[in-house]
Amino acid sequence: MTILETWLKQATRHLSRDSTAQVRREIQEHYESAFEAGIAGGASAEEADRLAVIALGHAKNANRQYRKILLTSAEARMLREGNFEARAVCSRPWLRWLFLVMPIAAVFVDSAAVARALLAGGIAMGVLFAAPLLPVYTPSRGRIFRGAKWIVLVATIGLAFGADALKWSWLLSSCLWLVVWIVWIEWTRVSIRRKLPVADWPKQLYL
Amino acid sequence: MDRKTLSRVEILQGTLDLLILRTLLFGPAHGHAIAKHIQRTSEDLLQVETGSLYPALHRLEAKGWISASWERSEMGKRARFYSLTSQGKKELSVEQIKWETFARAMGLVLS
Repeated sequence: MTILETWLKQATRHLSRDSTAQVRREIQEHYESAFEAGIAGGASAEEADRLAVIALGHAKNANRQYRKILLTSAEARMLREGNFEARAVCSRPWLRWLFLVMPIAAVFVDSAAVARALLAGGIAMGVLFAAPLLPVYTPSRGRIFRGAKWIVLVATIGLAFGADALKWSWLLSSCLWLVVWIVWIEWTRVSIRRKLPVADWPKQLYL
Repeated sequence: MDRKTLSRVEILQGTLDLLILRTLLFGPAHGHAIAKHIQRTSEDLLQVETGSLYPALHRLEAKGWISASWERSEMGKRARFYSLTSQGKKELSVEQIKWETFARAMGLVLS
């Protein structure tokens, strides 16, 4: 493997396929220009190659900078997969069955607490699944929707547990992986919004 | 100050964008030409690393301050040429005033 190839491999680490191709093309082109300029300046092929590689700088720094402005592989995957929340439910049959069984069970249990929890869950699900149907197609509307979404989700927890919401807050810590997962999704979306021009945003990025 | 002391001047954070915009004021250029121009006009004091240059070019393009198109270089190779947009020209004059004010203030403090 040449030094340039090693450099490119490090500089494009964790970048999406398209980003990697773009970086490779421009760096390769830059390297060739630098190499030819070196040869034209009277340097030997070896010396010109060495100088051209030195001029590239540190591959790790380049990778850090590229990851700030180009899509990473995780971000590209999220864009491809569309609405994450809907997929999370639709791709798991047991979750669909659970949603079906819960209201039926509630009818037999005849409990106000269960009814309240189900109502809260229904509201939360309604907000999540109605999102693609809402006229949210500008960044400002997107911000309003996201704000409303988080308020509804927090209120849902309050409604589900009623006055005992604080007492039951330990439950959240037992679902830490879920909280981390949701935060990671939101964080990745923020990062994608920063990198992509608004004209290229798919619907789910507004939500 | 002797030449050796000045041989490695780090480009200050945030100034690379200004250097690129200023370079493109003279006309469209590809990445290598931009880096060379900065190096030459700074009398070899500033050396732009390729790994910093291209991310900065992408950033400026995303902001709409520069535009890019594939053209043939003077060596007959296909290269991505960057040129300043009208928005970029406005931004350049703003950034230049900011920088001159900052440099003057630094000069006053250090003198």
